[in-house]
Amino acid sequence: MDTQEQELEDIELFQKHVSDRFTELSSPPEDDALLSVSWLHRLLDVFLCCEAEFEAILIMDRDPSQLSKPPFDRLIPEFIERAVKALDICNAVANGVDSVRHCQKLSEIVISALDQNPLGDGHAKRAKKALLMLLSAMNLDDKEGTHVKATERSWSFGRRGVNKEQIAGHFRSLSWQVAKNWSSAKQIQSMMYNLVAPRGAEASGLPSPIYTMNVIMIFVMWALVAAIPCQERNGLPTHFPVPKQLNWAHSLIGLQEKIADEWKKKEKKGMSGLLDELQKMEKLAQSLIDFTDSFHFPGDAEKVKEAAANVSELKEIFGRMDQGLTPLQMHIREVFHRIVRSRTEFLDVLEKGSAPVV
Amino acid sequence: MDGCRSGVPTYEGDLHVVAAAHHIVKALGATKNLSDDLRKILIDLDSHLSMITSNIDSKGGRGLVDVEERLDQAERKIMRWETDPMMIWDSGPKEASDYLEAVDETGKLVDGLRGLSVHENRKQKEILHRAMNIFQTAMSRLEEELIHILVRHGQQFEPKNMYSRSIRKDIVYDESFVSVEDEPTKETSSQNCSNDESGECIVDLVHADVIPDIKSIAKVMFTSNYGPEFCEAFISVQKEALEQYFSFLGTENLSIEDVLKMEWTCLSSKMNKWTWSMKIIVRVYLASEKQLCDQVLGGLGSVSSYCFLEISKATILCLLNFGEAVAMGPHRPEKLLRLLDMYETLADLLRDIDTLFSEEAGSFIQLQFHELLERLGESAIAAFKAFRVAISSNGSLYPFAGGGVHPLNKYVMNYIRMFPEYWNTLNLLLKNQHPGVADQVTKPDYGPDTSLLTSCPMAYHLRSITSCLESNLHKKSQLYKDEALQHIFLMNNIHYLVQKVKGSELRLFFGDEWIRKHNAMFQQHAMNYERATWSSVVSFLKDNNPGSSSMSKSTFKERCKGFSIAFEEVYKTQTSWSIPDPQLREDLRISTSLKVVLAYRTFLGRNLAYTDDKCVKHTVEHVENSLLDLFGGSSRSLRNSRRW
Repeated sequence: MDTQEQELEDIELFQKHVSDRFTELSSPPEDDALLSVSWLHRLLDVFLCCEAEFEAILIMDRDPSQLSKPPFDRLIPEFIERAVKALDICNAVANGVDSVRHCQKLSEIVISALDQNPLGDGHAKRAKKALLMLLSAMNLDDKEGTHVKATERSWSFGRRGVNKEQIAGHFRSLSWQVAKNWSSAKQIQSMMYNLVAPRGAEASGLPSPIYTMNVIMIFVMWALVAAIPCQERNGLPTHFPVPKQLNWAHSLIGLQEKIADEWKKKEKKGMSGLLDELQKMEKLAQSLIDFTDSFHFPGDAEKVKEAAANVSELKEIFGRMDQGLTPLQMHIREVFHRIVRSRTEFLDVLEKGSAPVV
Repeated sequence: MDGCRSGVPTYEGDLHVVAAAHHIVKALGATKNLSDDLRKILIDLDSHLSMITSNIDSKGGRGLVDVEERLDQAERKIMRWETDPMMIWDSGPKEASDYLEAVDETGKLVDGLRGLSVHENRKQKEILHRAMNIFQTAMSRLEEELIHILVRHGQQFEPKNMYSRSIRKDIVYDESFVSVEDEPTKETSSQNCSNDESGECIVDLVHADVIPDIKSIAKVMFTSNYGPEFCEAFISVQKEALEQYFSFLGTENLSIEDVLKMEWTCLSSKMNKWTWSMKIIVRVYLASEKQLCDQVLGGLGSVSSYCFLEISKATILCLLNFGEAVAMGPHRPEKLLRLLDMYETLADLLRDIDTLFSEEAGSFIQLQFHELLERLGESAIAAFKAFRVAISSNGSLYPFAGGGVHPLNKYVMNYIRMFPEYWNTLNLLLKNQHPGVADQVTKPDYGPDTSLLTSCPMAYHLRSITSCLESNLHKKSQLYKDEALQHIFLMNNIHYLVQKVKGSELRLFFGDEWIRKHNAMFQQHAMNYERATWSSVVSFLKDNNPGSSSMSKSTFKERCKGFSIAFEEVYKTQTSWSIPDPQLREDLRISTSLKVVLAYRTFLGRNLAYTDDKCVKHTVEHVENSLLDLFGGSSRSLRNSRRW
C-alpha cells in the first residue's frame, strides 16, 4: 500500500513539474522570444528534465516483470517505437541547423557589405547579391526535388548570363536528407498515431505518466520541426489530440496552439522555419533588398539611416545565431543520446521482465 | 575647391610630412617579423602616400587625371569580360593574369582614393564610386571563375583501385540456428582490409595545374575582404562533389528506423559496404580534400580548416549515423563478425580522423568517432554473449535422425573458425569483461608461442563456447533411446569439432592439450559404440568351452540363428545411421570388422562339420561386405547370401 501511495505521489509531482516547466516556457522574458534559439535551448532542457524524472518513476526500484504485463506490454514498446522516430527527427533537425548556420554566414556578408560609411554602389551590389542568396536559402522549399546542383549550372560550361541566384550554397544536398522519401511531417504524424489518453483506472496509474511523456516528446519534436527547416515539412499536423481537461497539459497546449497559428500563417507564404531569428532575419533581408535595389550613391539620407538601423539589428541576430546555433546542435545531440539510452533501459526492462528463455 | 589639396596648409609642409611618413613606412617594412595584417597596412599606407605625393606634385588636378586614366584602363580590362561568353581562366594564363592585375590596380585606386578626404571633391567621389563598382563586379566575376575552375577541373578517382574489397565470404546465418550451409573452404583470412594499407592515399581532387590559379584568386579575394564569398563558393562546390562521390560509392542515407527494421542479409551487406566506404572516404577522399584546402587556403589562418570542416561534416555524420543505428540494434549472434569489422575499421581510422579534425571546431567529430567506437565495442560484446546463450538454449525435442553431425555444431564451428582473424580486437574487448583472465600478448608474427595464445581471453572464451556446445550435444544425445546411437552421435560430433579446430587457426588457441583430450573423447565413444552394439552379437559366437572340440549341432544351429538375427537387426538399423566423415567411417568399419568377422570366421571354422547346413545363412565374406553398408544413411535389409 505504501509503495502504491508513494507511486501516486510521485506521478502527481511529476505532472506538476511538467505543468510548471511548460508554464515557464509560455511566458519567456524579453530576448527569449518563443521559438528563438535560446528558447529552443530551454525547451530541450525541459525535455531532458522531464525525461529523467519519467525514467526514475518507471524504472527505478521497480520489479521489471510489472512492466511486461498489460497494459505495459503494449505501452512500453509503443513508447520505444516513438522514441526511435524521435531520433530520426533529431538528426533531421540537426541537419536543418546547418542550413540556418548557412543563412548566418550569408548575413555576415550582408553586414560586412553594408556596414560601411559612406556606403557606395559597390557595397550595395555586394549586399544585394548576398541578400538574394539569403532570401533564396531561407525560402527554399525543403522538398527533395528542388536541389540545384553546381554541376548543372549552365555557366560552368562557358555560357554566361545566368541567374546569379543559382550560384552556390544551397545546402539542400544529398547528405542533408535523413533518407530518401523521408518526411518529417509524416514522421510526426506517425508518432501521433494511436496516442490515446488513459481512461478510468489507468488514468491514475503508471499509464498516465507514460502518456504524458509521449505527449512531451511529440511536442518537442514537433516544435523543433516547425522552427528549423528540415526535410519535407509539408503537411505538418497542426492539431494535437490532447484532451484539454488534463491539468498538466494546459500550458503545453497553449504553446502548441500559438505555434500552430504561426505555422498556418507562414505555410501559405513559404517554408522558412519559424525560428524567431530566421523570421526576423527574413523581414530585415526583405527591407534591405528593397533598399539596395533602389540605392544610388550617395543615397537618400533617411533611407540610409533606416538601412543602417536594419543592419545593426541584423548584426544582433547574427550575434545570437553565432553564439547559439552550434550549441543548439550539441544540445540536440545530447537529447539524441539520452533517448538512445532511455530506449536501451526500457528494452532491458522488458527483457528482464519477460519469461526467461529455456 | 582645389581637390589636390589634402587639407594641409602649405605645399612644402605637405611634402615634408609625406616624405617623413614614407621613410617610416619603409623602415617598418624592412622589419622581419611582420604579421600579414601589419604588412598589408603598410602597403596600403604606402600607396596612400604615393597618391598624396602625386596629388601634391601635380597642380591643377593632374593627379586625379592620372588616377582616372588608370581606372579607365583597368575598367576596360575588367568590363570587357562581362559581355564575353568565355570564362577568363579558360582563355589562357595571360588573360587571367591581366585580369588579376587590373583587379589589383582597381583595388589600389580604391584604397588610395579612400585615403584622401573624399568630401572635398565631387570628381574624386565620382571616380571612387566608379572604382568601387568596378571592383565589386570583378569580385563577383572572380567568384564565378572560381566555381567554374573547380567544377571543370574537378577529378574523381576510381575507388576499386584504391582498396581491395574484403572478400570474406558472406556467411548467412539463419536465426533459428538450424538451417545453415556448411561452406568450409572459401574463407581466405588474409584479405582483411584493416591489415592492409596503413597510410593515406592522396589524390588530386582538382587538377594540380589549376591549383595556382585558385590560389591567386583566393589571395585577391581575401585581401579585399571578400573571403566569405570565396569560402561560400569553394565550400558549396567541394561539398557537392563529395556528396556525389558518396552516392557514387553506393552508400545511401538510411533512417535509424529503416536500419532497425532491416532484415539480416540486407543489413549485413550494408555493414560490409560501410566499412569499405569509410576507409575510402576518410583515408583517400578527406585526406585529399584536406590537402586541397591547405594548398589553396594555407597561410590564411583557420580558414582552411573551417572550409574543410564545412565540406566534410555532413557526409561524415551520415556515415557515423549508420554506425549508431547498427549499434542500437538487437544483439543477435550473427551480427558479431560484421560488428567486429566495423569496430576494427573505426579503430584503424581513429588516428586519421584525429589528424583531419584536429582543430577545436572539429573536435565534435572526433568525439562522435570515439563514442561510436565504444558503442560498437559494447554491441560486439553483447552479440558475443548472445551467441553463448543461443548455443545453450538451443533445445531439441526430437533426436537428430541418423546420428550425424548436428547443424548446431556446424553453425558454431564454422562461425568461430573466423574468430582468430579478429583476435586482437576480441581480446581487447573481452579483456574488460574478465579481468581475472590472463592478459593478452602483443600480436605474434606467425611464429607464435602457443602457450601464450592458448591463455589469452579469446582462447578462454572459445573453449568456454565449445564446452557449452558439448554440453548441449550431450543433452541432445540423451534423446536417443539406443545407447549405441548416442555414442555414434557423440563420436561424430566431437570428431567434427576436433577436425574444425585442427584444420584452422583455432588450433593455435585451443592448444595441443585440448586436441589430444578431445581426440581421446571421440575414440572413447567409438569404443563404447562397439561394445554397446557388437558385444551381444558377438557373444553368440563365443566358445564357452574352449577345451572341447566343438559344440553340439543344436547349439550351433541356435547360435547361428541367434547371430544371424542379431546381425540382420543391426544391419537394418545401423545402415540408416550416418558417419559423415569418410575416414572415421572407414576406421570404425575396420575396427568392427576385425572384431566381428574374425569372431565369425573362428566360429565357423571351429564348427566346420555343420557349416553346410542351411542354418548358416551368411558367409564370412558376406558378413564382411555387409559391414561396409553400415552408416550409409539409409536403412536396408540384409539379403540371404545363399540366394546369390
